[in-house]
Amino acid sequence: MAGRAIWKGYIHLGSIAVPAKLHAAVKEERIQFHLLHSRDHVKLKQQMVCAYEKVPVPMEEQTRGFELEDGQYILVEPAELEQAEPEESRIIEVHEFVKTEQIDAVFFERAYYLEPDIPLKGYNALVGALREMDAEGICTWTMRKRSYIGALQSSGKILRLNALRYADEVISARSLELPNIPLSEKELKIGSDLINQLTAPFQPRKFENEHQKKLQGLIDKKARGEKIAILRPRRLKPTASDKLLQTLEASLKRVA
Amino acid sequence: MKLSSGGGNETAAQGIWSGTISFSLVAIPVQLVKAVEPGRVSFRMLHGKDYSPLLRRMFCPREEKMVPPDEIIRGYEIGPDKYIVLTDEELESVSPERSRTIEIIEFIDMKDVDSIYYDHPYYLVPSKGGEKAYSLLAEVMRRANKAGLAKFVLGEREYLVAVKSMEGALSLITLHYSEEILPDEEIAPQDGKIESEEKSRMKKIIKEMTGDFTPEKYADERRKKIVKLLRKKLKEKATVEAPAVEEEEGGGPVDLIAVLEESMRKVKKSR
Amino acid sequence: MSRRVTEVAGKRLSLSNLEKDLYPSYGFTKAHILEYYRRISWFILPHLKDRALTLKRYPEGVEQEFFFEKRCPSHRPSWVTTTEIAQDNGELMTVCLVNDLNTLMWVANLASLELHVPLARADSPETPDSMVFDLDPGDQADILDCARVALILRDLLSPLRLASYAKTSGKKGLHVYVPLNRKEVTFEETKTFSKAVAEVMQRNYPDLVTAKMAKEHRKKKVFINWSQNDSSKTMICVYSLRAREKPFVSFPLAWSNLENLAGQRDPEKLQITHAEAASRAEAMGDLFREVLVKKQKLPYL
Repeated sequence: MAGRAIWKGYIHLGSIAVPAKLHAAVKEERIQFHLLHSRDHVKLKQQMVCAYEKVPVPMEEQTRGFELEDGQYILVEPAELEQAEPEESRIIEVHEFVKTEQIDAVFFERAYYLEPDIPLKGYNALVGALREMDAEGICTWTMRKRSYIGALQSSGKILRLNALRYADEVISARSLELPNIPLSEKELKIGSDLINQLTAPFQPRKFENEHQKKLQGLIDKKARGEKIAILRPRRLKPTASDKLLQTLEASLKRVA
Repeated sequence: MKLSSGGGNETAAQGIWSGTISFSLVAIPVQLVKAVEPGRVSFRMLHGKDYSPLLRRMFCPREEKMVPPDEIIRGYEIGPDKYIVLTDEELESVSPERSRTIEIIEFIDMKDVDSIYYDHPYYLVPSKGGEKAYSLLAEVMRRANKAGLAKFVLGEREYLVAVKSMEGALSLITLHYSEEILPDEEIAPQDGKIESEEKSRMKKIIKEMTGDFTPEKYADERRKKIVKLLRKKLKEKATVEAPAVEEEEGGGPVDLIAVLEESMRKVKKSR
Repeated sequence: MSRRVTEVAGKRLSLSNLEKDLYPSYGFTKAHILEYYRRISWFILPHLKDRALTLKRYPEGVEQEFFFEKRCPSHRPSWVTTTEIAQDNGELMTVCLVNDLNTLMWVANLASLELHVPLARADSPETPDSMVFDLDPGDQADILDCARVALILRDLLSPLRLASYAKTSGKKGLHVYVPLNRKEVTFEETKTFSKAVAEVMQRNYPDLVTAKMAKEHRKKKVFINWSQNDSSKTMICVYSLRAREKPFVSFPLAWSNLENLAGQRDPEKLQITHAEAASRAEAMGDLFREVLVKKQKLPYL
């Protein structure tokens, strides 16, 4: 079952409008945990506590403030925040196109499927056009009071919409201030050979969430009152810089 | 007074996790740090009376008091108010080989990875002694346009991850498992006919509108408006003291209001 | 902790803590709660059906802490009907649908004394079935003032061909529902309409009614909370218990009844307890049935 749509909109491309419905593309499976008090196993509640009086503060006495550098705050009322909400519109506006793979993985936030809505017009043509041009459309839209930027892609017979992060939300690698270490040609050659030897086609289906199953097993074991063996996590010995080349050579020997 | 929001220029000083990344016999000590910072303008909750900031604390409803972190444990609910408690050690022991090591099992072509698998990005930074091996891995992956595929455990979850090079650094992207990707057969239209003239028209438009990906062009509108509002309030010296807010009236179309007023007149007359 | 396994409508359910007194100053145990919900089930189930339930659990009783639970507890029996709904960020969440007696019993056994549901059904979360006027008395106002407002509201809406139905909230206020039951209706429309109505009421009865949420505007007045007309909001389901000192119920009142009670000037008479709720429902049927079936149209939008 396709399930119900999260939202409905129109993809606007020039003067063309393609009606579409948004669906979630991913469903995460997760074991939910609660936080408990160690003494009596009572489920804990999160409370907002006054930093100075150290007492819980009820909702009616809470207010929102934007913190300025000098410890002062600008107070904001919920009504004012509401006014900042973007206008509700059903338009997914396509502004430009980029070649696929131009967008780095770091920008992808959430994937949605786009199901054609009635009337079916332009949807299949758009899927074909994007595929043949090897392109993705950069678009913006407003959904549930938030503004989004995204990439419109074709995948098989359908369109997908990927919500992207804004540029200023991505921390640049340069800010990590990594040291610039010179590498010898030999190290680079052996490193490359090693990687080639270890290369395989990407087959995501061979990876299962084993941990989830093991965790469920652990919970069941404990529920039955069985003892859990505590195994220490393994820590690898780091490869020393002056031993790097010989370690690479030894590795290559093993896989070649 | 600094009013900017968004963390594009902040260095991630705090490590989320530390351990080793390995491929074949090479082991590199690293730390996992943030790669993204939500751009939402974040507000602090304050005590209305004296504007002191509020902190999130865990509260025990039975003893009616704040609980210090060392008295907090993690439980999984198996029935109404019945919990199985798991300690950090027990959690780590589920996949011990993976909770401190990211072992790259194979390398893949980045081109083969469908973006639908991308979950959350991080950076890896080298710990002391690992700088050279780190640079090597980043450089060889960059030249080959490949990524390393590994599984690793962080907290309560095990992730499938891709480690790739980005601007000279190693970035780690957690991936969704294929069982988490929802099927899309029901999404495709029944009628697969493609209107070829329509398609040609679109291809032409795509060609005309193609450019390089420059995400800086796009701004979060809502955030802009909030920042504008804050600047305005700052100018008006409206710090700390909250101005009275008049809610806007007149939320209905004009003729609806007129009709309601007319109806109201009649109601009042008859009462 | 006692545990009994029962068979309800052919399905096994483990009931626990039956003697636990959840309304300590009145004396109403988990067993009593289960019994009430069993008795009222025929009336309440159609109003819960296919709606994403928000549980409000009071594991230690009404005088202790409660917690809301939107996500359907993962330790549920396999026969509990669930569905997925999308949260604001697009992530899917599994919710419970109380579509049968077993599930109602299971939910009650979790000490979810109060059952809160949205105005829309889970398979069409942006389509409200009714428009609601949540009448909430401010400080120094009471349910009798709400009754006055409800009656004026009824008279205001009926010339517009909109029939309305009232129920007690089970706490201090009243709820007035205007059934719509049409596919094209949106929350935007019901919110716009109810806001306009609330503002007109405020303009014409400024000493009795306010459409503004801020506390300082609500003293001695009845606040018409039009903002409840939203896909993210829930209302207490009709016939649900409330977690107050006594097990009062959110109960429908016929207009003629409301007129009489408003005239008698005794606010206590508008509070219906569990026993009264069950016997009245059995005698008179579901007074809120029209809210589920009547088709009406919002004019002038």
